[in-house]
Amino acid sequence: MKNIIRHRDSAYLAMVAPSAILLVIITIIPILATFYISLHFFNPTSTRQFGWVGWENYGYLLEDSRYLNSLRVMLWLIVIPVALQITLGMALAIALKEKLAGTSWMRVLFLLPAVIPPAVSGLVWKLFIVPGAGGVTYMGSLLGIDLQLDLLSSPNSALFVIIVCSTWVGTPFVALLFLSSLETISKDLYEAAHLDGAGWLQSHWSISIPIMRPVIMTVMVFRILEALAIFPIIFILTGGGPAGSTEPVNYYAYVSGFQYLKIDYAATIIVSFFVILMVFCAPFLIRIARAAR
Amino acid sequence: MKLSPSEKLLCYIVMVAFTIILIAPIAWLLSSSFKDQLGIFQSPPVLVTANPTLDNFKEVLGDKQFIAAFWNSMIIGVSTVIITMLFATPAAYGLSRMRSKAKVGLLSWVLLVRAAPGMVYIVPYFIAFNQIGLMDTKSGLVLINSVFTIPLAIWIMIAFFDAVPKEVEEAAHVDGATRIQTLLRVALPMAAPGVASTAILVFIFSWNEFLFALTMTRIDARTAAIAILDYMAFEGTAWGKVAAAGILILLPVLIFSIFIRKYLVQSAAGAVKE
Repeated sequence: MKNIIRHRDSAYLAMVAPSAILLVIITIIPILATFYISLHFFNPTSTRQFGWVGWENYGYLLEDSRYLNSLRVMLWLIVIPVALQITLGMALAIALKEKLAGTSWMRVLFLLPAVIPPAVSGLVWKLFIVPGAGGVTYMGSLLGIDLQLDLLSSPNSALFVIIVCSTWVGTPFVALLFLSSLETISKDLYEAAHLDGAGWLQSHWSISIPIMRPVIMTVMVFRILEALAIFPIIFILTGGGPAGSTEPVNYYAYVSGFQYLKIDYAATIIVSFFVILMVFCAPFLIRIARAAR
Repeated sequence: MKLSPSEKLLCYIVMVAFTIILIAPIAWLLSSSFKDQLGIFQSPPVLVTANPTLDNFKEVLGDKQFIAAFWNSMIIGVSTVIITMLFATPAAYGLSRMRSKAKVGLLSWVLLVRAAPGMVYIVPYFIAFNQIGLMDTKSGLVLINSVFTIPLAIWIMIAFFDAVPKEVEEAAHVDGATRIQTLLRVALPMAAPGVASTAILVFIFSWNEFLFALTMTRIDARTAAIAILDYMAFEGTAWGKVAAAGILILLPVLIFSIFIRKYLVQSAAGAVKE
């Protein structure tokens, strides 16, 4: 019997093998290569030859205030948008679940930000806040206020715009995910809570949220990963500025590598980024993979 | 559970408020695409311009570079779908049916690869592409897109193959079908809607990809999402054209996602179930 299972698994393993081999070549090798480059000097604009420098680049990293700032920006751009997406998403899912008259089209509409090209999302918001010509000025004029602020010109408001845009992109899809999980919870539980005198919001608080905790955790991990990867929105809206206020770690890596052509330093930043990513997310991802089967 | 009127009102307020925030920027994009430069900078701005014009769309559709980029996006998208499905379909089926301990390891790895942001791979790809002449080629972008879409497609399709009853496959196997034949003739037709929606999702991913399209192309292989940046030149942004081009780029994914809306959430939810 054991032999049969083993034999069958080997047939399946053969089906997995091409993808597995391809993925090793196109993912593991590049990551190792990045680490290798980070230990060398490599700048195509310099006359100095490609050569071994050991941990030198990592030493620069720790003294680089721009890098330390980019870590802080990254943290802001993860914590606030993800927290907003989860709380707003949950509130919307609870509201949508009731299937109130005239709300079914919202479920379709909510897919929109999730599938719009991120570059277009950036453009949509850039246009919306153009001082004098954007939707913000228009909405202000409806209320009789002359709103002509250039939100992208000061550090705090620029960061605020990025946070709004990234929350706008993520929230509706989170709401739909929560909704699909919310709809699988048995009605009986709510009936029982109702008999015990619990109100509507109270029963969601004491039934829905505890039951959905694993789903909330999983969605959160994926949203954090999404927030880590934020790039097009920043590229289009602010280019990391003003004064680095909207420049998270991966954006700084891009600037170092592709604007300053410090390829070795970009590789160093990316290795640090990858380590942060793995330390914080890998345990969760492995748990998700294990639970999925 | 029955809601009281005030609770219903609360639901409506939450939904309507958010829906306005959701629609407003897109409505503004749509409205701007029909405005001429004067209409855009009219003070105070208006949502519906007095002189709507199709000039922005005409100019964008007449722009050879933009159209070329649009076709590049199409070709790259379709090629990415073909490559991805060829690799991911058997892999997803194999992982779905596998019982050994290697499975959890493989699944974790698939998920980790899927999770890593593109920036993680960019430096070696940039160097390698320069060396082997893949820079600014469509095949180069297809290869890079596949890095992300193969794990994505595997992960999503496992759930669809899991849903195919094993008894049917056993019957086919007793009749002498090999594992590959079982996949092609039994499992694949039964999982077809899920597989098709995964293919569409892969297309959307490729269509929306920005970072590598930005760094690995110059002229020949530029995609639509990059070509739109031309309208944001130093002399000032031609917002009318940006808006029209934005609408045109948005349309294909919008149409596709309406087709697969049932599966979009389901497939994503498949990835989050625990």
